[in-house]
Amino acid sequence: MTLIDLGESTVQERLRGEGLILKTGPFAARIRTRIPVVAAALMQVYQDFPVLDASAFADFECHLRRPLTFRRWHRPQVLFLADGRSVFKPLPLHQAFPVLEWGMNWCVANQVHDRLVFHAAAVERNGKALILPAPPESGKSTLCAALVASGWRLITDESVLFDLRLDEVTGPVRPVSLKNASIDVINDFAGNVMLSDVCRDTLKGTVAHMRPPSSSVDRADEPATPAWVVFPEYRAGAATLLKPLAAGSAFMQIVKSAFNYPALGRRAFHRTADLIDQADAYTFVYSRLEEAIETFDALAAGR
Amino acid sequence: MHSPLDGNQALRLALARPESMTERTPAEWTVLVAAARETSLLGTLWNLATLAGVAERLPEPVGRHLYGGFLKADRNAEAIQWELQTLQSGMLQRLDPPVVLKGGAYLLAGLPNASGRICNDVDLLFPRADLERAESLLFFEGWGTTHHDPYDQRYYREWMHELPPLEHWRRGTTLDVHHNILPETFAVRTDPVRLLASACDLPAPWRYRVLRPAHLALHAIVHLFSETEWDRALRDLYDIKVLLEHFGGRGGDSFWRDLVDEASSLGVTWLAAYALDCCEQSLHAGVPLEVREALLGSRITTLKRRAARPLFLHGLNTRASATPKRDSVARALLFLRGHWLKMPPRLLARHLFYKAFLAPKEDVTNSRTDPAGGGVR
Repeated sequence: MTLIDLGESTVQERLRGEGLILKTGPFAARIRTRIPVVAAALMQVYQDFPVLDASAFADFECHLRRPLTFRRWHRPQVLFLADGRSVFKPLPLHQAFPVLEWGMNWCVANQVHDRLVFHAAAVERNGKALILPAPPESGKSTLCAALVASGWRLITDESVLFDLRLDEVTGPVRPVSLKNASIDVINDFAGNVMLSDVCRDTLKGTVAHMRPPSSSVDRADEPATPAWVVFPEYRAGAATLLKPLAAGSAFMQIVKSAFNYPALGRRAFHRTADLIDQADAYTFVYSRLEEAIETFDALAAGR
Repeated sequence: MHSPLDGNQALRLALARPESMTERTPAEWTVLVAAARETSLLGTLWNLATLAGVAERLPEPVGRHLYGGFLKADRNAEAIQWELQTLQSGMLQRLDPPVVLKGGAYLLAGLPNASGRICNDVDLLFPRADLERAESLLFFEGWGTTHHDPYDQRYYREWMHELPPLEHWRRGTTLDVHHNILPETFAVRTDPVRLLASACDLPAPWRYRVLRPAHLALHAIVHLFSETEWDRALRDLYDIKVLLEHFGGRGGDSFWRDLVDEASSLGVTWLAAYALDCCEQSLHAGVPLEVREALLGSRITTLKRRAARPLFLHGLNTRASATPKRDSVARALLFLRGHWLKMPPRLLARHLFYKAFLAPKEDVTNSRTDPAGGGVR
């Protein structure tokens, strides 16, 4: 059963009642909220995602509600609660949907310890994964959205999961988060993408989420072999440049993106080393998306 | 068919009877995992499931959460041992070996609750006379004080049972330096000399001591049952249960007799009575009836105990609860109770007045993440 099969009114009902269990790749999140806009937003970008029934196991307990103070009514705010505890500062109510997205990201970043979790995007072609770890503002999500619009399978835009035993990466396939100028860039680059309504004045500026292609959602459980680790950097007007990166530097850089590196200690160290051993590492500077896509298509084709 | 358990019931049952974990439905696991996550008990559950031989029979995603919790605890144990090793091979060698308390003690003494347990800081107990010396020796190794407000410094140094928590300037580890197990201003005053005098040496290579079994269990008890924050209380109660059963199983009557006698000598019989009652009610701890009766003694009437019981039991609940309203009332009352016991009324009034009106304002939302920061994009 997917969200679209269920229909918006049933989705709304579940959100208000026992919770909607949304399956995103290896994780299921139970979402509860009485804030009306959330159902519509979920329908926009999660329509092809499976919904589990109430008797299923959910990894994360997510609850979105107004505060119990006067900010419930006066310039109302929204809180995200994981396991019943608020994890972010309250934000304006109109940002409820982005807050839910950030909240679910928070759950993956903070509540998963049986595999390495990297703050990175990943896409796949022919069973091989291209991993894009990057600090904010590096154009990671824009690049990821463009690759997905050009036929790469979306593994994740946010959290790459590297198994502690098997040499494979997976990810919770979820909508790609686009910010500010990226929203128009992706709209211009690919006419066929579906974006959520934009949400203005958030802490990250204007944000919108891109619906992942249904083919990526259908293959959400399919692992891929890590083949390339690329650190992208968007630089206005720069020429496209893909440059090999020494393994040691790649290791030091990707460690900065590992959410649970300190929690897993030596296991994290060895597995990160394994990952860097298996994959070829590069730095990548770009300003034109078309050229970026050509570069990665060539990389995948072994040219 | 049974009616579905809420997260608390399921978690308590899993702690009391680990093999029951195979009976949980997926929906019960959702709330059980949430409850265990909230109380940092995921790793403990993995350890219990492994010992009971049911770990492989857990549903796959559930096993992953428990195992992940165990990996995190495993790394935590390694880090705590490293920190203790570093401390004992430095300046502290100039003092007599301190007593390692709580999580560090369980770990170094190899007690059964240590496996899978997360321990957030290192706690050491020194004789009062060594306290200043310990603080200045530690300063040379990078341990500095954390509370810079003069009021807070006075609060700890005059009224509490420990120095203001120390923090390592590079590693950020917290070190609590204690000279007693209850605040100086607490409703009863425990005698630290009694604790220090009978502490036992740990085997080499450790240069620390641990409290003797009855004192170790009593410390866990007074720590929880004098507490103002009951957020992870179930984990602490589980520690008490394991310590009692472990030492009771090994030392038998002599342990139980020592527990009753020492509770009385330290003046904490009443706290122990509540604790053992809760262990029995909540986690089905195997405490002999005569021990519980001996502790009840004169100070606590059956009526008082019955009245207090729901307060503690609701306070122990996690947020994965079927009774959230009663739980929050209980937590609020336990908060008041904790303060009431911590200080005599006049001092308490003064302290609360200061904290409410005079203390520099802390940003209460600071503990929560800004979704735009911390890489949570």
